[in-house]
Amino acid sequence: MAPKTKDDAELADFGRFSEPALLILVSLAEGPRHGYSMTEDIEAIAGVCLGPGTLYGALARLESRGLIEPLKSEDRRNPYRLTALGERALRARLDSMMAVARTGQRRLASA
Amino acid sequence: MNWLLHLYPARWRERYGDEFRAVLAGQRASLALFFDVLGGAVDAHLHPQILHSHANQTKGDDTMTLAMLQRCTAGGARLSPDDRRIASRVTTISALAIAVLSIVLTKIYREAAPVQALIYAAAPALGMVYAQTAYLRRRSWRVQAFLLGGGLSGMYLFMLAICLIAKRL
Repeated sequence: MAPKTKDDAELADFGRFSEPALLILVSLAEGPRHGYSMTEDIEAIAGVCLGPGTLYGALARLESRGLIEPLKSEDRRNPYRLTALGERALRARLDSMMAVARTGQRRLASA
Repeated sequence: MNWLLHLYPARWRERYGDEFRAVLAGQRASLALFFDVLGGAVDAHLHPQILHSHANQTKGDDTMTLAMLQRCTAGGARLSPDDRRIASRVTTISALAIAVLSIVLTKIYREAAPVQALIYAAAPALGMVYAQTAYLRRRSWRVQAFLLGGGLSGMYLFMLAICLIAKRL
């Protein structure tokens, strides 16, 4: 799905990490979480079990783009939160997906 | 399966190692998990630049040599999108200029050694233009002109010498 806005394009070139990155952003939309909590949440909302290799590949990309940021933590489990840029990118991506979904539903209904 | 973490680059382990172990410990060992961690390690080696934000790449307070060494790591160049975009444009324009010059000079001087040297030097010279434009973009124009001009002149003279020797054989 080609990006339509600048914010939507933030996730466009993540390659195989696009879907995990989107799921991570959705998970963090509820509040800060650490890696293990994200995998549990993502499994609950999408039925996808992200392995640590995929999870941290996507987390590193999101962090390098400034879409998420780590919070200081006392223990070794570093929590992450959405940045303002990450929130905009997530909104743009979800809007774009919803537009496609609505079109698909409409066409199926009229078929 | 913690031993697989040693397959990741040291800088990556330093940054994410502890968190990664915590997530890994919470998952059941399986072949899928093994390949997931292995794939992550390959990715971390292939894309070392994802550990650095774009802001970190634009600092100009290090020495030129250090900056070039840091940007020319074995795993791939750490260039920001702006670096790559500008270097690509300069390289494309240079390629067109060299192509036009080569055609005009060939028409006038045919297969003279200096013209052949220009054609042979074109490909490596364009690589040099791309690299130097990208890596030295934030240096003064004098430094860029000196390094790029020196490099291109050296490359051309080397090719010219080869063409002259070849014509004598």
